[in-house]
Amino acid sequence: MNSVNTENTKVVLITGASGGVGAGVALACASAGWATWIMARRAAEAQQIADQATLRGGSARVFVGDVGDPGSVNTAIATIIETDGRLDGIVHNATSGLSPIPTSLAEIPFADVADHVRVSLRGTYLLAAAGHPHLVATQGSFVALTSEAGFEGKARLPVYAAVKAAQRGVIRSLAREWGPTGARANCVAPLASTPAMTAAFANDPAMATRVLARNPLDRLGDAEADIGPVVRFLLSDESRYVTGMTLMADGGSCPIT
Amino acid sequence: MTAPLVIGLDESNARALATAIGGDLLVQSVVDGSSADWRWAEALEAWRDLATDGPKVEQIVVALFPEVSEPAALDTIDLDGWIEHCEVALARWIAAFGVAQRRCADGGSIMAIVDRVAPLDCAGRSTETAVSDAVEALVRSLGRSEGSRGVLVNLVTTPSRLTALPVVDPQPPLAEFPGSIEDQILATCRMLLSDDASALTSTVIHVDGGRSWR
Repeated sequence: MNSVNTENTKVVLITGASGGVGAGVALACASAGWATWIMARRAAEAQQIADQATLRGGSARVFVGDVGDPGSVNTAIATIIETDGRLDGIVHNATSGLSPIPTSLAEIPFADVADHVRVSLRGTYLLAAAGHPHLVATQGSFVALTSEAGFEGKARLPVYAAVKAAQRGVIRSLAREWGPTGARANCVAPLASTPAMTAAFANDPAMATRVLARNPLDRLGDAEADIGPVVRFLLSDESRYVTGMTLMADGGSCPIT
Repeated sequence: MTAPLVIGLDESNARALATAIGGDLLVQSVVDGSSADWRWAEALEAWRDLATDGPKVEQIVVALFPEVSEPAALDTIDLDGWIEHCEVALARWIAAFGVAQRRCADGGSIMAIVDRVAPLDCAGRSTETAVSDAVEALVRSLGRSEGSRGVLVNLVTTPSRLTALPVVDPQPPLAEFPGSIEDQILATCRMLLSDDASALTSTVIHVDGGRSWR
């Protein structure tokens, strides 16, 4: 495998990038000529995105792994360092496959709670802990993909909303802990047309109307064109004075300001 | 009106709170262990499923005050520590809110009290900050799901157990910072349980002397 360790090329790891927002982020990073590592459990789908990313002008590789498993996360980062010699950015986008499944706090099986927590929250912890020394070396950036659900809650997706909010809490603390080292940590809360969103709409047919009625731009975002560049900004040197923030990339849907 | 139900751990703050508001304390089960595979959650789920079968009550206070640990940067927390202070803590809240959701009568009120450090002071408190942000979202989710039956759901946060003084400048506007559970938190709790709060739901009140501005 050839190294891409050059002055102008960033090396970034993106989890859950075999589809949806993660794939959009990977493609946007590849369009800037960056070396993109796609970490996902679905090898074939991830390789398809990697092939598309390479066509965009960057280089893309796949690491098949599980963000909730310490060994998998550590091996992924070690492989990147061994191959490319550096790590400039980590994007934790992976979420539980149960994310769009309606439930209630009185009824949800705790095995399902565990899956939400393991992927979103433990994944954030593992990636941040393992990645921090390398992000210090490059004055790099960590970005967690959260959700408007983490601000406003969701009646039928309460655990999903909780873990998305918890990620913001971790990032807020990380920004203060990491600040003196020069490494940064931020969140992006996207609203995009994704397979997960499609599944959520299928489970709750009225949801599409609710989602768009409140959106001033009156459309869902495109993962590559609308969300990817926002994440890329937070990974880039252009955002070197931005840390601890949640950037809403949602067409104005969630009015938190 | 039935006596308020206080859902808490078997510790002094929950007991004192229940006594102060004339409520009955429902003690959440002990969580044994902090394994990565969440086997410990089986007891928590069993407790939730059993406790949801109790009688309806008009007022429920969820007040989980786990043992406070020393501040630690995330990089220095091992996986066991992460699970104990973040994942177990969050699972406890989910179980407790599940009981509150099922046990609260139509037109009733659920309020929660959670430890939270202000954003300025959250270095070294990533696990607690994760949990308190999650609890905010859980409260807002419940506010949405239970609003249709007239149930109010609100949250009070307190930095009193987690914040070591002095804090970085600027100092909080009020000298009482970081406050106490038996004083400022109890007063806010009483307000939220009163008729004066009948139009409040999904509200988060940071009772921290002005230390937080959002």
